[in-house]
Parts: sequence; structure tokens; C-alpha cells
Amino acid sequence: MAASMRLLVRRAIRLSHKNITLTAAGAAARSDCCRGPLVCRCFSDEAEDRSTHFGFETVPETEKAKRVYKVFENVAQKYDIMNDAMSLGIHRMWKDTLLHVMHPQPGAQLLDMAGGTGDISFRFLDYIRSQEERQKRRVARSSQTPSWRDISNNYSTQDEPRESRAVVCDINKEMLKVGKQKADSLGVSAGLSWVVGDAEELPFDDDQFDIYTIAFGIRNVTHIDQALQEALRVLKPGGRFMCLEFSKVNNPILSRIYDAYSFQMIPVIGEVIAGDWKSYQYLVESIRKFPNQEEFKGMIEDAGFYCVKYYNLTGGVVALHSGFKL
Amino acid sequence: MFKNVLSRLVTETVRSRRYVPNGPVIQRLIPASGPVRTFTDRKGEAQPQFDASLLDVLVCPLSKKPLRYDAETNELINEELGIAYPILDGIPNMIPQEARLIQKDSAETPTH
Repeated sequence: MAASMRLLVRRAIRLSHKNITLTAAGAAARSDCCRGPLVCRCFSDEAEDRSTHFGFETVPETEKAKRVYKVFENVAQKYDIMNDAMSLGIHRMWKDTLLHVMHPQPGAQLLDMAGGTGDISFRFLDYIRSQEERQKRRVARSSQTPSWRDISNNYSTQDEPRESRAVVCDINKEMLKVGKQKADSLGVSAGLSWVVGDAEELPFDDDQFDIYTIAFGIRNVTHIDQALQEALRVLKPGGRFMCLEFSKVNNPILSRIYDAYSFQMIPVIGEVIAGDWKSYQYLVESIRKFPNQEEFKGMIEDAGFYCVKYYNLTGGVVALHSGFKL
Repeated sequence: MFKNVLSRLVTETVRSRRYVPNGPVIQRLIPASGPVRTFTDRKGEAQPQFDASLLDVLVCPLSKKPLRYDAETNELINEELGIAYPILDGIPNMIPQEARLIQKDSAETPTH
């Protein structure tokens, strides 16, 4: 009886959650104790602070977001170099595979969550451009002998096909700044936008995007189920959710080599190149705390996605999960 | 006649210069004398321009309602809830804790 009352209260609070004043929200986020109007999550916990994992440490939930923010703030400048050094360049292959599986068509709208330095979005725009060129070449070839229908189509005023667009969203300003600088130096600006936003509370309307990707970001989110629900919300019906994340290696020999490399080499590389041991310690620990392929697949299905599959890359070091909003 | 126009121009700029310091305490990087400069100077100072096409997709994360872009203060405003999201370097910051409350008297910013 008490439990169902609590459920009802929690639901009512969640409904009115959006109208809660900001000062209260700000105060609650600031204090370590989450007894405040944001208490809708605490109600279920019987007046105890909810705690979660930060690497192998246990921290209160409100702490985790702040600490993750600091980690990425520190590593932002050297992020790309470190990625190359740690993964020996293999991360490029993983991201290329994501794009190939995604196979975006011209006109697609992408939301690149936790996009940080923009790797996925740059690849997305390149892929679309090469697709468009391929289409143009095909049209040119086939219009050598045009049919009557083709000729009449050429006379009709054609609507401009929807321009493809990539929105890079990240909770961390520093990462986005680095990404924007990269874009400016590469001269890419058409169809690329940058937004600071929280994966658990996206600043986008419903049914907006064709593809939602989150590459190596979802393990840093405090409430993964909320992020998945937000992803479902902003995707158009028929839209695709794709997630690249480090996962469990099943092969025992590879697993031992991988563990040794992770815990002994990576923080050292982090210290040498980026001058930051702890952040990279957090990185390898957070990988171990993340659920494995099957569990994560279950979480995605619980959020409401259909046809959820995963592909193991590099023997399971990285898993690419994909689901559809139908 | 021209003297009237000139005097009105001067009083307006003086008034706006006086307005800004009384405005809310800020986390913004825009210097206080911003609004007084000419139109071209203001554009050059926030050099990365905010991309207005983003307004098609952006909504307030709390109420999911569309936002209004305010070019003077370089913010995205949600009238209903009375909050303003800052734009730094052309990148809008849509974290609710970093938004500024718009109040009729001088406002306190909820810093985090």
C-alpha cells in the first residue's frame, strides 16, 4: 500500500518535474545530498542517498556527473592524440565501421550525442558527400538516354532535397570547443551544429532525427535508462539508435592481454602524453563497470527500441549496438 | 531638428550604457559595453556567429517549448519559464543549471 502510494507520488512529481523552479534544481544539484525537489529519484530509495559507480569507486549520483565533467575537461585538448595512442589507431576503424553499418543517405539528420570532438559527425558528412557524388554520377550516366519521364522531370521545378545535418551535442563545453576548432581548421561548417546539452534531458523536440549515435559516451552517463528514453523520444519513427561502447571480451587469452594493457599501459600513456594518470584510470575502470553486450541489449529493448542487435568489433573490445524506433 | 536627433541618440546610448551594469551578475564573457557598439562591431566580437538554423531543432530541455533568440544579450529565451540559455563562442549551452532566470528586478544567477 505504501509502495503504490510512493509510486503514485513519484509519478506525480515526475509530471510536475518540468515546472520546478530552477533555483531549487540548481541548489539540489549543488548540494551533495539529493533531498530536494529533484527528490523524485530519491523517493524510491527510502531517504538514502543514491550512489553509483565512478570507475571502481562508489560515489553519490550527483557527484558522478561533476567528476566526469572534470575528467573530460582535463583531457579535452589531448583527447584525439590519446585516442590514437591508446587504441593504436584502431578507434578510427571502429568509427568507420559505425558509419558503414549506419549507411546514411543524403538528407539524413544526425544527432551525435557525446560527440565531443566531432569524429562521428565529420565522418557522417564525408560519407553523405561521397554518396551524393555517387548519385550524381549515376544520374549523369543514366541520363545519356533519357526516357520521356526523365525529360519531363527535368522540366518540372525540383524541390531541393532536404539538406543533411549533423548536430553535435555534448555536456562538456571544452570538448565541443576543441571539436569546433577542428571543424574550422578543416573548413567544414555546412550542416554541422554544436550544442551543449545533457543526454538525460535533451534540448530537442520529439521526432526530429533520423539517426542518434553515441560513441564511447554512454558509460559516462549517470542514468543510462534516461538517456535511452530521451534517444527514443527525439528519433523519428523509423529512426535508428546506434551506440559504440567498450564491452566484454569473451576470449580468455585476449581478455588477459586486454586487461594487462588497460591497467598497466593506458594510465602510463595518459600520464606521459596528457599528464593525467587519474582520468585514464577512470576510463579503464568505467569500461569494466559497464554492462556487457547482452545486458546492454536488454536495456535498449526495455527503453522501447526494436530489432536490437549488436556487433562485436575487435573480439568484443568494442560493441556496436543498434536499435530502431518503430 | 538635427540637434534633437543627436541629443536623443546620445541619451539612448547613455541610457543603455547605464542599464547594462545594473543587469544581472553574469557568467557571460561579453563585456559590459557590448550593446553600445555599432552593429558591425557587435558581430565581430561574438565572432563565431550563432547558427539560426539550430533554432528549428532546439527547444528548452525542461518544457520542450521553442525558444526565442535574443541577439543583444546573445541568449536563447524561454518566455514561459522565464529563463535564458547563454551562447558562448556560438555554441548554445542548454544545461538547465546554467540558465539564467529572467526576473523583473535584478536577478540572481543560479551558478552550479
